[in-house]
Amino acid sequence: MKRSRVPFFTTITVLVFFYLPLIVLSINSFNDSRYGGPWKGFTFRWYVRLFHDPQIWHALKNTLLIAVSATLVSMMIGTLAAFALHRYRSRLQMVHYGMIYSPLIVPDILMGMSLLLFFVALKVKLGLFTIFIAHVTFCLSYVTMVVLSRLQDFDFSLIEAAQDLGANGWTAFRRILLPLIMPGIAAGGLLAFTLSLDDFVITFFVSGPGSTTLPIHIYSMMKHGAPAVINALSVILLLITFVLVSASRTMREKTE
Amino acid sequence: MTTAADKKNREWLITGPSLIWLLLFFVIPTLIVFAIAFKPSTPFGGIGAGWTLTTLFDLSNPNYPAIIWRTVWISLVSTIICLLLAVPCGYCIARARRRSRNILLMLVIVPFWTNFLIRIFAWKVLLHPEGLLKQALVFLHLCSPDATLLYNSAAVLLVIIYTYLPFAILPIYAAAEKFDYSLIEASRDLGATRFRSFTHVFLPGISRGVWTAALMVFIPALGAYVIPDIVGGPAGEMIGNKIAQRTFVDRNLPHASALAALLTLAVMIPLMITLVRNRLPETDHRKKGKRIVE
Amino acid sequence: MSDFLVFEGVSKRYGETQAVDSVTFSINRGEIFSLLGPSGCGKTTLLRCCAGFEDPDSGRIILDGKDITGLPPHRRKVNTVFQNYALFPHLSIRENIAFGPRTAGWTRGETDKEVSRMLELIQMEEYADRKVTEISGGQKQRIAIARALINRPQVLLLDEPLAALDLKLRQRMLVELDSIHDEVGITFVYVTHDQGEAMGISDRIAAMNLGHIEQIGTPAEIYEAPRSSFVAAFIGDTNFFDGTVTEVMDGSYCRLRIDGFPDVLAWNDKGLQVNNAVHLSLRPEKFNISREQPDALPNRNVVQGTVEDIIYLGSHTKYWVRVEDYRLGIHHQHSRYLLDTRPITWNEKVWISWFADDSYMMERYKPEDENLLVLPDMEVEEEVLPV
Repeated sequence: MKRSRVPFFTTITVLVFFYLPLIVLSINSFNDSRYGGPWKGFTFRWYVRLFHDPQIWHALKNTLLIAVSATLVSMMIGTLAAFALHRYRSRLQMVHYGMIYSPLIVPDILMGMSLLLFFVALKVKLGLFTIFIAHVTFCLSYVTMVVLSRLQDFDFSLIEAAQDLGANGWTAFRRILLPLIMPGIAAGGLLAFTLSLDDFVITFFVSGPGSTTLPIHIYSMMKHGAPAVINALSVILLLITFVLVSASRTMREKTE
Repeated sequence: MTTAADKKNREWLITGPSLIWLLLFFVIPTLIVFAIAFKPSTPFGGIGAGWTLTTLFDLSNPNYPAIIWRTVWISLVSTIICLLLAVPCGYCIARARRRSRNILLMLVIVPFWTNFLIRIFAWKVLLHPEGLLKQALVFLHLCSPDATLLYNSAAVLLVIIYTYLPFAILPIYAAAEKFDYSLIEASRDLGATRFRSFTHVFLPGISRGVWTAALMVFIPALGAYVIPDIVGGPAGEMIGNKIAQRTFVDRNLPHASALAALLTLAVMIPLMITLVRNRLPETDHRKKGKRIVE
Repeated sequence: MSDFLVFEGVSKRYGETQAVDSVTFSINRGEIFSLLGPSGCGKTTLLRCCAGFEDPDSGRIILDGKDITGLPPHRRKVNTVFQNYALFPHLSIRENIAFGPRTAGWTRGETDKEVSRMLELIQMEEYADRKVTEISGGQKQRIAIARALINRPQVLLLDEPLAALDLKLRQRMLVELDSIHDEVGITFVYVTHDQGEAMGISDRIAAMNLGHIEQIGTPAEIYEAPRSSFVAAFIGDTNFFDGTVTEVMDGSYCRLRIDGFPDVLAWNDKGLQVNNAVHLSLRPEKFNISREQPDALPNRNVVQGTVEDIIYLGSHTKYWVRVEDYRLGIHHQHSRYLLDTRPITWNEKVWISWFADDSYMMERYKPEDENLLVLPDMEVEEEVLPV
């Protein structure tokens, strides 16, 4: 049976569409012209300037601080939530599920706006702490969903088998369930970490003076000149993304 | 033996942290937005006393309907275009051999993970009057040297499609991967054309994935803020921009809240449709499965 | 010796369904005991109650004189071989087998020694350090058995252990299981829906239906003397007749009148009287089919019929013969197929005969069981399909 070639060509077109802007951007990062455009010679100037910008390093420090702490907290709370959702079938869990699910759907701007009003109403000073709270709130749902889907795939006769072989509930949890669920928790954590690193809109609403994160810094650079430095920064972030994605994929293939 | 009360306690113990967190930082803030929409604004950027409907009536100000309309059509059109591209892509990836499938998937996932601002910025560079795309189009005589590619609705539409297309491809791929392709062979065997097999067998088979994909594009598009802000200009403004403007520039929080509440309601409609659509067949399957097990 | 594992009035209900309904029976030390029945008959529930994964709603389970009802699974000297094996995917084969001993806190030396002994028993020494995902179904099966046996359980529970294997492998594993049983000598409780497996491996079988035990006995007892029509129909093929006793003869025979069938002579082991209603089962291999009229004997029934269908099955042939309103299923063995005589063919008039001693009287199945019965007519059609 002959297959249509339309899907194949569409895919190729889409991939070109995906990568063309990124490739142009990468090439431009070595262009000795301030606003891109015509090629004016090869340079590392923008990279050098990037590494000498103290604001970037400050923003990066803030970003990592928030990403690490928000990831850890959302991993803990999210894993517990996933266990609760998987273990119990009560009305409480229906409400719980609704509350976990909604933040996944609600547009960023609504979440940012509502958290801002909340903090303003409580007169909480905007800063790293409010950003941390906001990040845990949206990461939590993602971690829960990832761990929950792993739990749903988990074969619970393995727990019965462990108990049958003499393990009590705690031993079965520690030696069978946890090691087998761990990749799921790690995947949830990785997702939370990247989402936190990436978030601009929500952070923008709840950040205060001195709590500039990397995406916020990029945004202000985009608004107020310095495009060539953003090109350089983009290339570095792209490379990091590429390495992280391939690492997580090989990790997953190994565990499978 | 554990008593029922013990069990209930343990349930509350592990449900508690997430429940309290989301109640405090998601449910209550959302309710505050709805409440403030019914408050009057003061000229000094504060929230007035008492309750009023004037804020809501202000939404009929000639300025707003145009923006609301633009938000809706941009979201709808970008969703449709994303689906038209994502279905063949998802199919192609699902049908590829193992090795090439992994590479293709990886190529779709990388933009998915790449920083959102950078992807928007890449287009700003490309569409810039001095940018490559503009230069190429002028060179090919496809547009005049003084046409602007940036700062209009079309630019917003293009970048929204670019940004959310990976979100549409992945759920469609997931559904297409689970699809039983012998069904297509069966339909061809029964006399269906390639196109008919596609529309009458394949599409219904992956309908859940398609709905999820539509949601993944439509809802964020409705709430888009950064994209119109960077490539849209005043001609490409959407509701999201207005909310941010009212919040940060005019300090008119009741107005911002009213717009946010409107947006929330707009998001709920497609969400409910999808939930109802996707839930019903699922419970059916579950029942069937149960019957087989029993 | 006897009453090693006792179920006393065990009941279990899931919502609307009474999975097990006050079941009482006992299993002897060292025997292979099968729970046989269609899916949903309660056999797996009984097994899970015994392992401790389910608590019975009422009743007791007594192992070697001790009441084990309500004990958690890890405190019972009972181990299970799971239907899907439930091998731990993150552990190697050796670690899987060593799981029980390590949990119980055996010394390293003793654990290693026992694991090696188990690997030898199941003949998988060279696979010890492979991952569970790298081996075949039959090998997984053996590991699951070794992993359970290493804990020296008093009872080994096997939950449909061969269901996931193909036919040839199933037959081989059955022999292997039998020899493992001979080696270790502990009690096996074997749950299956496959009568062939149960007949082949068991010392005794409990035939179950709808949460009840219909009959307990050796494979031969269950097959030759089924107590109910459910047992007769579920285990092997059979032909059923409904009739009334018209005459009781001395020598334990009686004559029956059957609507739409000639009168038959049957062995009256139930001591029935004239006018009693009778449900009669006749296994297909008890018939003799021939073109010539057989000699009349005092205890032999002879009727005439027309061949409607023939299914050649290699070792034997199945005939479907119309006799008045009945369609009899008949197995005919052929020791010398082509050399014998010209084979009987469609639409031929044939003589059917059988000895009165070979039919068996029983309780008639309750109407609500009817859909669970594998009726002989349907079964043959299934067998035709693959050919």
